[in-house]
Amino acid sequence: MSDRERELMERYIYQVVRRLPREQRREMSLELQELIGDMRETEPSMEAVLTRLGDPAVFARQYQDGRHYLIGPEYYDTYGWFVKIVLICTVVTVLVVSGLEGVREGLMLSGVNGAESVFLSAVYGIGGGLANLASACIGVFGGITLLFAAIERGLVKVDRKKEKQWNVRELEGASGRKTLWTPDYLSPVPNKKAVISRGDSIVSIVFLVIFCILLIFAPRFFSAVFPEGQATVVIPVFNLEQWNRILPFFLLSLLIGLGDEIFRLVAGHYCKPVMISSLVCGCLQLVLAFLVLKVFPLWNPDFAVQLQVQLGDQIPPALAGFLARWNGDTVSSILFAFLAVLTLIEMGVTVYKTLRYSSKNA
Amino acid sequence: MGEERDLLDSLLMELRRGTLVLSVLSQMGEKKYGYALVQSLEEKGISMDPNTLYPLLRRLEKQGLLASAWETGGSKPRKYYQITPYGQEIYQKLKAQWEEMVAAMERLLQEEDV
Repeated sequence: MSDRERELMERYIYQVVRRLPREQRREMSLELQELIGDMRETEPSMEAVLTRLGDPAVFARQYQDGRHYLIGPEYYDTYGWFVKIVLICTVVTVLVVSGLEGVREGLMLSGVNGAESVFLSAVYGIGGGLANLASACIGVFGGITLLFAAIERGLVKVDRKKEKQWNVRELEGASGRKTLWTPDYLSPVPNKKAVISRGDSIVSIVFLVIFCILLIFAPRFFSAVFPEGQATVVIPVFNLEQWNRILPFFLLSLLIGLGDEIFRLVAGHYCKPVMISSLVCGCLQLVLAFLVLKVFPLWNPDFAVQLQVQLGDQIPPALAGFLARWNGDTVSSILFAFLAVLTLIEMGVTVYKTLRYSSKNA
Repeated sequence: MGEERDLLDSLLMELRRGTLVLSVLSQMGEKKYGYALVQSLEEKGISMDPNTLYPLLRRLEKQGLLASAWETGGSKPRKYYQITPYGQEIYQKLKAQWEEMVAAMERLLQEEDV
């Protein structure tokens, strides 16, 4: 074998081996050296040998077994749909929020007059929001992909038919290595009223995504703005100093909601796993809501005072009464009660539909 | 014409694929290294590309049907494969099935000739 031929052989082996699992590489390259050396003795040239072996990528593929994909055909359709919906929501919301933010800044800086300058401010804001848009899309895409990958790998069990059920036959031992599929595993076609459609999910998804993005990008939106000479005064409703600490809890709660939504869609109908997921997610969300609303300093403690100072004498009586009674704690309690009722209703509906429509062994 | 050829090729490949394991197991009573196996199969009219055979040998070893050992005594190190007792047992069962299948297929195909 000439040096050139050896070089060619080494190149080929490298191209095959680099595509194989690390722990197999050393032995595989020895094996290939042996094979190519043997073939060279019967073939006229190294080129002929390597041509016969064919594309190293194809060769390497033959060695691979097991799962080489993140999301397989079973869930791919739902996954694709989900990614599409969430990305559309994200893009639209981020752009709208950035546009509004631009207009708000325009207002603050110079006092926008005329439709043209509003438009320009909006465009300016959208331009500034593009970086946010990119990171939001990547984050959303990654999160959803991770969730589906977990379902694909069975970390989250959706399909009960794949669960092993104990059977008298297992006592016999011999055939007990794998559970054989029997028609008993066929769950009944779900009642029409138990089917969870994409239409049902889309509303929740859109709501969750919009809320998420509002919370991330625009806490300053929820504030009162006053022009004061050249400058403007902004009085935020939320406690912006603590916002970075509070936000993760908000987001976690919303992500849990999104996870539950994915789970429902993949399951496709009300059944026990969906009910359990709904109960667990609901409880988690309530705990998080309680933390955010009742434990953390969510509200700007000086909101009422600052607003009163700003408005001074021009304060309308109705608003004065409202401000006098403004109390973050009360607002939190009302909000929490509202959220709790919503969550409980949702959980209740799920439990009801599951027990009512899903058949016993589904 | 090209399409028909492609179709025929892919059908033939499918047909052959089912016989690969049986062909390999039949030759492994004595220890052999990979390329010797390619040649001995070829001599007996079964052509199998090395890039199909090598991964297959590895798979069969993983499944416990073949065992392998490196021998470094000769001019270059060689990996020899040989059938295991478990492989032998499986091979006999496969062979019996194959014979039944061939007989049945023959009946089917002769029916058509008549």
